[in-house]
Amino acid sequence: MSIFSHIKYFMNVKLGARSYIMFNRWRNARRPLRWNTKYLAPPLKVDKITKELIALHYLDGHYVDGRKSVAWVTSGAPVEILQALGYYVIYPENHAAICGVKRKVVEIAGEAENAGYSLDICSYARTDIGAMLSGKSAVGTLPKPDLLLACTNICQTVLHWYRILSYHFNVPLIIIDTPFIYTEYSDADIEYVKNQIEDSIPVAENVCRRSLSFKKLQNVVKMSKDASELWLQIIQRGTHIPAPISAFDQFIQMAPIVEMRGKAATVNFYAALLREVDERIKNGVGAVVNERKRLLWDNLPIWHRLRYFAEYFGTMGISVVASTYTNAWGELAPLMDKDRPVESMAKTYIYPVLNRSAGSKLGTIKRMAEEFHINGVVLHSDRSCKPYSIGQIDQRNRLIHDDRMPALLLEADHNDTRSFSEEQTASRLDAFVEMLGI
Amino acid sequence: MSLQQLKIPKRKDVINEFKARGGKIAAVLPIHYPRALFRAFSILPIELWGPPKIDNSFSGSHLQAYVCSIVHNALSFLKIGGLDEVDFILVPHTCDSLQGLGSLLVDFVTTTKKVLTLYLPRDKGEPGYEFLGHEILRIYTILSQITGLHPDDALLFDAIHIEEQADKALAELYFKRKKLGLGNMDFYRLIRTREFLPAEHFIKLSQSVLSVSAAKSFNGLPVVLSGIIPEPMELLDELSRMGISVAADDLACCGRRLYQPGVSMNPFRRLSENLFSAAPDPTRGDSLESRIQYLKSLVYKSKAKGVIFYDVKFCEPELFDLPDLKKALKGQGIPSLTLEVDINDPISSQMLTRIETFLEVIR
Amino acid sequence: MYSNLEALGIDVGSSTVKAVAVDGSGVILWHHMESAEPRVVPQVDHFLKMVSEKFGDISGIPLVATGYGRRLVHVASKQITEISCHARGVFKQLGHGGTLVDIGGQDSKVIIISSTGAVEDFAMNDKCAAGSGRFLENTADRLRVDIDKIGKIALSSTEETYISSTCTVFAESEVISKIANGIAVETILKGLHRSLTLRIVTMIRSLGSLPPLMLSGGVVKNPAIRYMLSEETKEPVVLPDLPQLMGAYGAALIALT
Repeated sequence: MSIFSHIKYFMNVKLGARSYIMFNRWRNARRPLRWNTKYLAPPLKVDKITKELIALHYLDGHYVDGRKSVAWVTSGAPVEILQALGYYVIYPENHAAICGVKRKVVEIAGEAENAGYSLDICSYARTDIGAMLSGKSAVGTLPKPDLLLACTNICQTVLHWYRILSYHFNVPLIIIDTPFIYTEYSDADIEYVKNQIEDSIPVAENVCRRSLSFKKLQNVVKMSKDASELWLQIIQRGTHIPAPISAFDQFIQMAPIVEMRGKAATVNFYAALLREVDERIKNGVGAVVNERKRLLWDNLPIWHRLRYFAEYFGTMGISVVASTYTNAWGELAPLMDKDRPVESMAKTYIYPVLNRSAGSKLGTIKRMAEEFHINGVVLHSDRSCKPYSIGQIDQRNRLIHDDRMPALLLEADHNDTRSFSEEQTASRLDAFVEMLGI
Repeated sequence: MSLQQLKIPKRKDVINEFKARGGKIAAVLPIHYPRALFRAFSILPIELWGPPKIDNSFSGSHLQAYVCSIVHNALSFLKIGGLDEVDFILVPHTCDSLQGLGSLLVDFVTTTKKVLTLYLPRDKGEPGYEFLGHEILRIYTILSQITGLHPDDALLFDAIHIEEQADKALAELYFKRKKLGLGNMDFYRLIRTREFLPAEHFIKLSQSVLSVSAAKSFNGLPVVLSGIIPEPMELLDELSRMGISVAADDLACCGRRLYQPGVSMNPFRRLSENLFSAAPDPTRGDSLESRIQYLKSLVYKSKAKGVIFYDVKFCEPELFDLPDLKKALKGQGIPSLTLEVDINDPISSQMLTRIETFLEVIR
Repeated sequence: MYSNLEALGIDVGSSTVKAVAVDGSGVILWHHMESAEPRVVPQVDHFLKMVSEKFGDISGIPLVATGYGRRLVHVASKQITEISCHARGVFKQLGHGGTLVDIGGQDSKVIIISSTGAVEDFAMNDKCAAGSGRFLENTADRLRVDIDKIGKIALSSTEETYISSTCTVFAESEVISKIANGIAVETILKGLHRSLTLRIVTMIRSLGSLPPLMLSGGVVKNPAIRYMLSEETKEPVVLPDLPQLMGAYGAALIALT
């Protein structure tokens, strides 16, 4: 690592970023309202910090070359080891989602389609492969990986996708394969995941030429757990009536828990967010000004229409108070244990909602519906996410027939605007809202 | 020689005969699973690759439209009574869609069949072998509980040996395929009997084919077929009509399942070794390099003039690899063609035009 | 007068049927085009009758059939796909290789033609109609605009609206909502042309384009597609004479050999 790259980093990130942040604060102060409607509460104060954290993270990546080894990892991967080894970590899924929010997907994914990648491939993967092939991005260029880490606990898509990345970048790929839990997991399942995590350590050490400090790992695991627990508490605050924070807020605020798990700054950030949410509860502020009905969202958000949905529901006095998706990053917090880091990681990472059965997800939906005093469920049938979506037709039917819970299946795609029809969606939403009795 | 002379038994007759002798039937979804384990319990695995061309409207009440036709058809087939003769359904964890189907069958779809799942490890190292051994043992335990049988190592090895012999017979048919004098359709009808014939019958059938020397060999422009299944099978006749001979394949139901015998004396380990030994397969996480090498070697060994990628629509495992596979082949001067199918659709004239053009290009 | 007739080509397409007669050096002696009838066989007979009225006895003259209905031309000495035929016809006329785009009523094709005139690679749009001429026809119909004028109207617009849907059904509902939102017809048309062009450009890029870009088929008459293809690929677009006849012409040339 050269002195030069450190100086460059210092000049650009430490000094340059400061002025960037000041500018952004000034700009945000001039445009305080995020939503185009008076039916939604003003945006959270921490919103600015989230944006700064994410901007700084990607800026950091710009100048990482020569200072740190870079790893690209999947959103549900056991990242703690890489954090403890000092890797700079990039989450391609998150990067793709940012491109989705900024409506850059058609252009960037188009580059992958031009290269022959089918439209039937996950739109996250197409976006990132397009970015890899063309250098296009919504956040500047991404640093090239020295190591890839894919965990199959969210889908098999990442297995296929990361094999492609490994081939193109010619760097090692660590696969942590997590058996799907149809009913319950066995000791052999945990042993298998644990063995793989252990085997991955020397590979990761070799790439960055450092050795893992057990103490550092414990510390990272602890911070990962602390941040996840705070996140869980924030989500749980949504049980209050009116709900102080909406699922749409959570979709934005979840970025650090996905992207910067295991860091002190992340723990501080969520502590601040929790304080703000509690303040809202104290003052009786709801995310939706006149909350009349409460919904649960299932599956990934539709990144390119976040505002559309938030405003549509807000105008109707409907608050989407929780989602199974954001919940996934909190519900596993209790499983983490810094005294047995590897084993507890194995138990944590085998257990996200996406790696459990369709029936188990229905259980989660029903439990959340009760806890959060839900009046209806929106199931986003996401063309790009089969593991999350298959089962939704039955889940919906069970909710309607067993619980008399209004439930809507909404066909769309988390990133690709081309698989979304605003007209069809609007008429379905209108009908659903009528069913809710508004 | 044509296969009419060989008298390939019908699937239904095989099932009835096996049941008449007191055996049970397991319907098995794609792709990899330990056949011998089931045989040791007197259960005959019958594979379910769709089947194609059925009324698949019944699966729409459980599965979205962006799930592939193989998975849709399997569920529809169950719902229209196609699996009435079956006692078990085994769903190997092959891809996200089959994971979803397995989960639906366990949790939501009403069926009297006992549903079993099998997780196939994507780890290629020791943890993977060890895990697969445990997974097979887990299924052994479930089958024991249901059937009351407890096949010992000797019995397990009897079944393992005969399946290994059947694998060897299959490999021999592949090795001598040019000399068999069979057209595309007949060759694939023959080897696909491995999907439902008991191993001992398959061995006999192979021997009778291998013992007859062909009057004349089927000559056509050689190509390699890659993908999941050659369905609808009329494709093979169309290829023959155009003068194309499928000289080798990288099909999930066929060439990707040329398993090698294992070496371990522990039956569960042995079965894992066997399943791990086949050709590179994206669903098992094999690297792109290994797939490229494998395809190139198929082309060189069979002297093929090109590769046809024949993929089922929505099949992510296949779709992800296509651009790099095609590019690597092109770099070696090997042309390739990509076709996408829904296994319920008849072969379209547009598809035939594509194949004919490809033929005009490679000739 | 026409005694030097040496070969015939007939292209039975989904919207038009075309025939070309050539002499020994491949010069076009006669050509004819009609809308396609649902019954192919009688229409082909009618074409052949026209040829014999013109040239006398045509028995013994080699005939190659192409187009989606080629298999129904029983008198043909050979059936060749439209891809090879288009490539052959365009190469003969222009004298060089490149990337040929043929947008037909039923499907669109991109063909890479080598410097020797051989088809090096090709792509066709998938089942969905959004990449074909039909896509424009449907929406032109919906907007009550004459199909022959849509390109000109689209180009007349200084503004453009983005049509995101790649599916014709979705695109139609998108168009309806845009009309409802008061967006001008020409603005929508420009967006539609962009959408179709981008689908074609994706196919071109997936093959790795070889310049120059050449265009054949009925859509050649549409100036907007021509303009936008050139704009998106930053390549000039070259047109053969009689671009709609290239399939039949190529068929005749193949019959000649």
